[in-house]
Amino acid sequence: MLLRLTVLLAALLSLRPGSDAHGTELPSPPSVWFEAEFFHHILHWTPIPNQSESTFYEVELLRYGIEPWKLIPTCRQTLMLSCDLTAVTLDLYHSSGYRARVRAVNSTQHSNWTVTNTRFSVDEVTLTVGSVKLEIHNGLILGKIQPPRPKMAPAGVTYESIFSHFREYEIAIRKVPGNFTFTHEKLRHENFSLQTSGEVGEFCIKVKPSISSRTNKGMWSKEECVSLTRQYFTVTNVIIFFAFVLLSGALACCRALQLYLRRRRKLPSVLLFTKPSAFNLSSQRPCPETQDTIHPLDEEAFLKVSPELRNLDLHGSTDSGFGSNKPSLQTEEPQFLLSDAHPQANRTLGSGEPPELGDSCSSDSSNSTDSGICLQERSLSPGTRPIWEQQVGSDSRGQDDSGIGLVQNSEGQAGDIQRGSALGHDSPPETEVPGEEDPAAVAFRGYLRQTRGTEEKATKTGCLGEESPLTDGLGPKFRALLDDEEGWHPPALAKGYLKQDPLEMTLASSGAPTGQWNQPTEEWSLLALSSCGDLGTSDWSFTHDLASLGCLAAPGGLLGSFNSDLVTLPLISSLHSNE
Amino acid sequence: MKLQSVSLWLLGIILILCSVDSRSFRRCLISTDMHHIEESFQEIKKAIQAKDTFPNVTVLSTLETLQSIKPLDVCCVTKNLLAFYVDRVFKDHQEPHPKILRKISSIANSFLYMQKTLQQCQEQRQCHCGQEATNVTRVIHDNYDQLEVRSAAIKSLGELDVFLAWIDKNHEVTSSA
Repeated sequence: MLLRLTVLLAALLSLRPGSDAHGTELPSPPSVWFEAEFFHHILHWTPIPNQSESTFYEVELLRYGIEPWKLIPTCRQTLMLSCDLTAVTLDLYHSSGYRARVRAVNSTQHSNWTVTNTRFSVDEVTLTVGSVKLEIHNGLILGKIQPPRPKMAPAGVTYESIFSHFREYEIAIRKVPGNFTFTHEKLRHENFSLQTSGEVGEFCIKVKPSISSRTNKGMWSKEECVSLTRQYFTVTNVIIFFAFVLLSGALACCRALQLYLRRRRKLPSVLLFTKPSAFNLSSQRPCPETQDTIHPLDEEAFLKVSPELRNLDLHGSTDSGFGSNKPSLQTEEPQFLLSDAHPQANRTLGSGEPPELGDSCSSDSSNSTDSGICLQERSLSPGTRPIWEQQVGSDSRGQDDSGIGLVQNSEGQAGDIQRGSALGHDSPPETEVPGEEDPAAVAFRGYLRQTRGTEEKATKTGCLGEESPLTDGLGPKFRALLDDEEGWHPPALAKGYLKQDPLEMTLASSGAPTGQWNQPTEEWSLLALSSCGDLGTSDWSFTHDLASLGCLAAPGGLLGSFNSDLVTLPLISSLHSNE
Repeated sequence: MKLQSVSLWLLGIILILCSVDSRSFRRCLISTDMHHIEESFQEIKKAIQAKDTFPNVTVLSTLETLQSIKPLDVCCVTKNLLAFYVDRVFKDHQEPHPKILRKISSIANSFLYMQKTLQQCQEQRQCHCGQEATNVTRVIHDNYDQLEVRSAAIKSLGELDVFLAWIDKNHEVTSSA
């Protein structure tokens, strides 16, 4: 009995597997789970083993706590392993959850139900980000995170409305082609800005959302890339550029103004002194116009000037040496600058002989501060016409002081010169003289420079030689003078000035023999002016004449002093104006 | 005139106090770290809820039921539910797995702390239980009793997330991440 029962049981058991094939036993899907995003709820399941082509799956959904299970017909498709249950789970975010179950079904049988492990609730929704928009503004990357906007969401239900608080986002930045660097900082707002600290290139950013009060997991968004280029035309750069331009312009203007203010101004012509360089002299004449040469003054020029200057009482600013209280003729045109031009120098006073010569010289000489040439008009004979050479700047030796180059051209001119020197002389007939004098006075500083040495003599000789034809009256005398110059003792020549005396002039004009001149030359340290001129002649035999003229007394003393102190005494020649 | 102004002032103060008072209970559990409890629950949620074989039955009713509770009843309902879990659910559940047991224990301890906090709050302001609060509490207990103890306990543990979400909503608890 027992054996039979066991055999029957075994037969039944053996038959059972066969009956399975015909039974309702189908393997149920191993696992079922939800994969949900915001309003995108997908139910997944694993397929059964040995599934055939006719196998399909049934899905039922249950709202937790509320019966019954509802079949979802849309998921009834063959060989489908997932199903979108968003439409039937719209209330997920306000309910306690759902449960779903799946079973495999084929033509004849169906499997058991496989239920989801967990109650499908809000906690199982994976948070995502809709999109990230990047902008570049002033070297900053501005980002805007867009939450998901699913189509299935009911009207008025948004990500922000359901998760109203504690929304956070984590950012990861990557500089192409490097790896991502996680900032580990959570943004609390959808708008953010990133500082790249001056780097240029392409930057890629991705974002992961989360809710700080929930345990929902987040998913990284897609990479959004933006390229930063070096901006040269930023606002700060433009401002700096314009500021620099303005500053440089201002500096340039200041500098220009400075240069303009400091520009070299041209000296007034009056202050210009032609340097007695060799070049100048050579250009004008072969021989330098030295003080030794006496050039006849142009009477015509004197005529022009004299009427104006005669009555002038202004005293020259510089010590004219003439001791005249008339304005120095420096301001006048140097028409009588004998050194410059030969013709000028050759202007003779002979044209208009001074009719008279006063005795003002002696008196005036005493009045003048410096001893200078005092031309006595009286003593001067028409013949004698010492020509005052304007030595302004015409010193051949380039000496700083300009002496008067008294050049005796003619005897008659001496008087004229005296007159001219005697600025302010009121003698009407001597109109020429003052005019003549004035320019000479202008030029004449009142000092006769003494010649240095033979050089001058040589030059003077040459000059004088040329001048001889010009000077009619005193021609031969001058020549002699010139010759005598050679005999002058060089050391005797002192730097300095010999005070000229009108008597001397007269002496020269008197036409002493040349031989007589030799003697005084030795004693005389001839002034540059008087080298050939009257001053020099004072030592000569002219002294006699001078004495005869009455002017000797003064020059005599002078002569004596000169003899002894030629070297030391500054020879000053001053023209005294005889009023 | 003075009396009128004084009375008005008193009325205003009373109203302010009442409004504050009504909100006070919402602030009782403000210092509780709910996030920690929620995280702990998430770790064991799968294991516990998988054991729940009766999805069509609920213990804590639905969220709508709990959501219908008025602010004045929040204190009473919170107190009752905390007591329900501590006194019945955690005691009835027998957890074999130590890892899950540890998590459940931490949640239970947190509930105990919340009970104490609420008690202190209650002493200052009376936590009066209204009719609706009493009804809700009774329903929950009835649901729990309808099931077998182990199943009920499992189910109640599985519904912890509902309870925690309701506390978050009604007690303005700041979640510290």
